[in-house]
Amino acid sequence: MAADSTMPILIVDDYKTMIRIIRNLLKQLGFEDVDEAADGKEALGKLREKKYGLVISDWNMEPMTGYELLREVRADPELAKTPFIMVTAESKTENVVAAKKAGVNNYIVKPFNAATLKNKIDAVFAPAA
Amino acid sequence: MRVPKNSELESDLRKIAEYIVTLRQEIAALQANEMHTEKIPSAGQELAAVVNSTEGATNEIMAIAEKVLSADASDAAAYKALVDNEMMALFETCAFQDLTGQRISRVVKTLEQIEMRVSRFASYARVADQAGFSSKQEAEEAERRARLMLNGPSIAGDGNRQIEIDRLLASLRGE
Repeated sequence: MAADSTMPILIVDDYKTMIRIIRNLLKQLGFEDVDEAADGKEALGKLREKKYGLVISDWNMEPMTGYELLREVRADPELAKTPFIMVTAESKTENVVAAKKAGVNNYIVKPFNAATLKNKIDAVFAPAA
Repeated sequence: MRVPKNSELESDLRKIAEYIVTLRQEIAALQANEMHTEKIPSAGQELAAVVNSTEGATNEIMAIAEKVLSADASDAAAYKALVDNEMMALFETCAFQDLTGQRISRVVKTLEQIEMRVSRFASYARVADQAGFSSKQEAEEAERRARLMLNGPSIAGDGNRQIEIDRLLASLRGE
């Protein structure tokens, strides 16, 4: 199953420039329905108001980090199945392992390019082997 | 208890007095007030200017890219003129790197000066580092950063590259 290009996507990042970069890359990949949030807390509010097909979140944000957001999402039965990609400069093994254990679907390390973003989105929506 | 002779006591007191005089000189050489009121705030301002400048340039570059991507390409000559014009603007915007490079060099020099003064003082005074944190706020922040794994961007070779992260995720899927 390929990613549905009409699905709403939520980008979570406290850096406006990064949101703009990801939004432009998603546009080039055909995704037009894109919302944004500046941290995990704001994202959680938006996720409870609207059904998103994918969350693309940074890790290091205040007051709620992307890691905390991921755990909140997975703990909420209404949101638990929402695909979640972490896009972050946190590249240490402990971060990746913790994110995986918390239920992240994919993990992209910054800086990244359009091909990596596309590959990771495709992998999230690919049928399990 | 052995009572020191007057000459020994006088000698010891003289050594202590000399040490205090030299220590005062070393403290003065630290130029702590200058560090506190000039050097560190100035370095902070330079770094803030770097952040603003890089952010501004990035936004300008993205605006150029967005303009080119959304331009009407049906009139080839007009499209080429627009692209040429925007590419010139792109080159001009990249000039920010020269200024930010100079600002960062100034901050690096300031940090080197501070490091030199502090290490000289620490060496003379034989200062041992105090364990723990200097304030409750600092301790709480360190605890939060450790708990939430807020390590920040890695220095080359310290963190994982994308290919290594992909391998790690694949291995964790098999668990």
